[in-house]
Amino acid sequence: MSPVTFRSVRDLPPMSRSADTMLWNRTGSWRFLRPRYQDKVAPCAEGCPAAEDIARVQILLGQGDFEAAWLRIREENPLPGVCGRVCYHPCEEACNRGEYDDPVTVNSLERFLADHAWKLGLTPPPPEPAAGGGRVAVVGAGPAGLAAAHFLRRLGHEVDLFDARDEPGGLLRYGIPEYRLPMDALAWEVGLILNDGVRFHGNRRLGGDLTWDELSGYDAVFLAAGTWKPAPLGAEGEEHARDGLALLEAIRRGETPEVSGKVAVIGGGNTAMDVARSLLRLGAEPVVYYRRRLQDMPALPEEIHEAREEGIPFQTLLAPKRIEPLPQGGFRLVLTTMEILEEDEGGRPRVVPSGHPDVEVEVDAVVTAIGAGPSEGVPAEVAGGGGLVSEGLHLKRIAPEGEWADRPPVFVGGDLVNDRKAVVTAIASGKEAALVIDARLRGRDAASIWPSIRVGRRGGVSMNRYLGGDRAAQQDHVVRYDELNTIYFRFQERRERPRITLEERRTGFDEVKMRISASLALKESERCFHCGQCDQCDNCYLFCPDVSVLRDLRAGTREINYDYCKGCGVCVVECPRNAMVLEEEPR
Amino acid sequence: MPIELPVHERMYSGHLACPGCGAAIAMRFLLKGLGEKAILSIPACCWSIIGGPFPYTALQVPVLHTAFETGGAVASGIRAALDARGDTETQVVTWAGDGGTFDIGLQSLSGAAERNENILYVCYDNEAYMNTGVQSSGATPTGAWTTTTPTGSPKPTRKKDIMQIMAAHRIPYAATASIAYPEDMVRKVQKAVSLKGTKFLHVYAPCPTGWKVPSEISVKLARLAVQTRIFPLYEVEDGVRYTINLEPVGYLVDEYYRTQGRFKHLTREDLDRIQAQVDENWERLKALARIG
Repeated sequence: MSPVTFRSVRDLPPMSRSADTMLWNRTGSWRFLRPRYQDKVAPCAEGCPAAEDIARVQILLGQGDFEAAWLRIREENPLPGVCGRVCYHPCEEACNRGEYDDPVTVNSLERFLADHAWKLGLTPPPPEPAAGGGRVAVVGAGPAGLAAAHFLRRLGHEVDLFDARDEPGGLLRYGIPEYRLPMDALAWEVGLILNDGVRFHGNRRLGGDLTWDELSGYDAVFLAAGTWKPAPLGAEGEEHARDGLALLEAIRRGETPEVSGKVAVIGGGNTAMDVARSLLRLGAEPVVYYRRRLQDMPALPEEIHEAREEGIPFQTLLAPKRIEPLPQGGFRLVLTTMEILEEDEGGRPRVVPSGHPDVEVEVDAVVTAIGAGPSEGVPAEVAGGGGLVSEGLHLKRIAPEGEWADRPPVFVGGDLVNDRKAVVTAIASGKEAALVIDARLRGRDAASIWPSIRVGRRGGVSMNRYLGGDRAAQQDHVVRYDELNTIYFRFQERRERPRITLEERRTGFDEVKMRISASLALKESERCFHCGQCDQCDNCYLFCPDVSVLRDLRAGTREINYDYCKGCGVCVVECPRNAMVLEEEPR
Repeated sequence: MPIELPVHERMYSGHLACPGCGAAIAMRFLLKGLGEKAILSIPACCWSIIGGPFPYTALQVPVLHTAFETGGAVASGIRAALDARGDTETQVVTWAGDGGTFDIGLQSLSGAAERNENILYVCYDNEAYMNTGVQSSGATPTGAWTTTTPTGSPKPTRKKDIMQIMAAHRIPYAATASIAYPEDMVRKVQKAVSLKGTKFLHVYAPCPTGWKVPSEISVKLARLAVQTRIFPLYEVEDGVRYTINLEPVGYLVDEYYRTQGRFKHLTREDLDRIQAQVDENWERLKALARIG
């Protein structure tokens, strides 16, 4: 584009009239600041131990591309249907929308996407064959083992997945009740993992017929056998108490355990809630006894709330002291009354006997759910914790000393090592194990890769980034609420997922939380700010005084025309979600 | 919620506006609201320069550059010429700055409005003679620095209420608009061209250069002007029916004043006085909307 030239007076028009546009004038040369599109990390993604790219998932969901959104979750977490039901959703606590009105219901949207894929029978593309893979044994087919097997398989390794029980799923299958995680939903999602070519070997118990001799034949071992051995109650006559986890397992196996009448459930964690609520559904009258206060319970607030809604009584500041069988059947449970000694910073407060008289109750059964430890077959180095070295955020390794020096590296994850014992942290363990094992087998230094694949400063690691995907280009800055231009958002009520009636809940094992409709999911997804991620709202294009944002409406992309952009920065300020940045013009 | 506007683009890059120019943004929105057939009459103002020197143009619609005081008269003339040729379709639009509207072109605008000429007159208001070097105009707000109202004696009087002046002509449609509210502005342009007679749009268009603010907050300032009630968005039909289009958050004027170099000499007392003025104007507007 060159300026118009008039060679003689005769060339000039009779009156001043334009003959060309201003496009010859490359105003980009005025610029000393340069706007640029730059994706950043949304706080939800940093909050998620599995580092799911939640903002991008919401963008895809909002565009109606439910399959792409589901696959986007699966890049980081192969169990969205499970997590969409049972996750403690730290993403929602981190959500910037919480400072505006209420957090987005990320958890129920995750389940919506998984259920949509399930209903339609969608399958992810098969893993691409990769050369140079190794053979890896995964011991324990719970969430950690399943995640590790999934990612290792996708990374091109042969995977043998061992479990002490006959079917895969671990705690998901044998420890979480049907009303929270229906068996068919779990089976579908586990099936997708096994379909990738993971070889599952059931009824192979570590310390039983699965030996370290056999495991030493692999290039690496990931141990995620979970914690199944009930913790001792420390009360006289505790042999009369039943193990809550075993009870849950029996119910999951379709058995109807003989429990009726008044049942004391000891504990305040999720297992205690699961046991009490399962007993209620079996027709018993559970009462929860907990040594601290309601607010100190480690169970999810949601679980406690639902248990209380169902009418289960909670007795707190009571610690079991003695269980005595009664001649007419049943037991006398003697409980020590406790009091709070001091508020522990961060942790749970310490409790001591208050000196008040003991409380005695007559019950038909006592069930404990006060935590569990590693089963017998787990090596002492792991069970004691003394022989472990850290390998990641949710991953440890048995120190290669003594007899372990000659064995392939053994990585340990899931409930065996995690401080926060949860499904999503177990999945994070599995992913970290897959990354570290893959890096090791391919001669890469995992420790040096770690900083570049971690999402945000406090977040988990991303498989997408490890594989050099589009998240690798994200600036590792976590978008804060005050960095958003919230004028472009509107107050919209958070839409909780509907639940079945209390009557249905008290009498059967139907899933409590109902599926949400596509229209509800789309409405709720609209609430997402998409912090740090361009969702093509086009404010940059609309407000540009220099018509210098070029859009490709078909491809859904936009770019800045630096030939004319004067670098005013209006686009950066008007971007509602901080997905742009204004930088000094390079010289 | 994404902002939805017509996709057509009738402005070229390469124009001569300063970075972050509110008047350039306003022009884009005007053109998005106008139909395909329109003629602009531009009296002396920033846009006389922005559009480019002879023999160039930055716009894809015909433009007649004209003298400062003639915005209303030239548009009337173009309208008459088109009508004589039987072209009733083409919209005639005057695009003038605040100096050419509030001060120098007021008589010709008043004449056109009095005759109820079938034109759309758009005043993009950057609150001073910016093109000639920031001299005070009738649109300059109380307390502002300009080169003719230096910080030692900033503008003592109020901004002229051009909307009341236009409403007093009982023209079919007068409305305020802001570059921070594109959907509202485009709707008002579309509504104006659908009506016969004289239509007047008062468009708020911040000037980073003259207001001594960073270019990137140009739109943000326009939004703050609305949200502080300094520049409310409203319409007046037939000079009497007032409709307020957006209920402002009602931030204190400090939010708006404190970010601008042209106001940095103002004291607490000055700001309190200005706040009282803004509150008074707002109450009066609400009262007018009630009786309208």
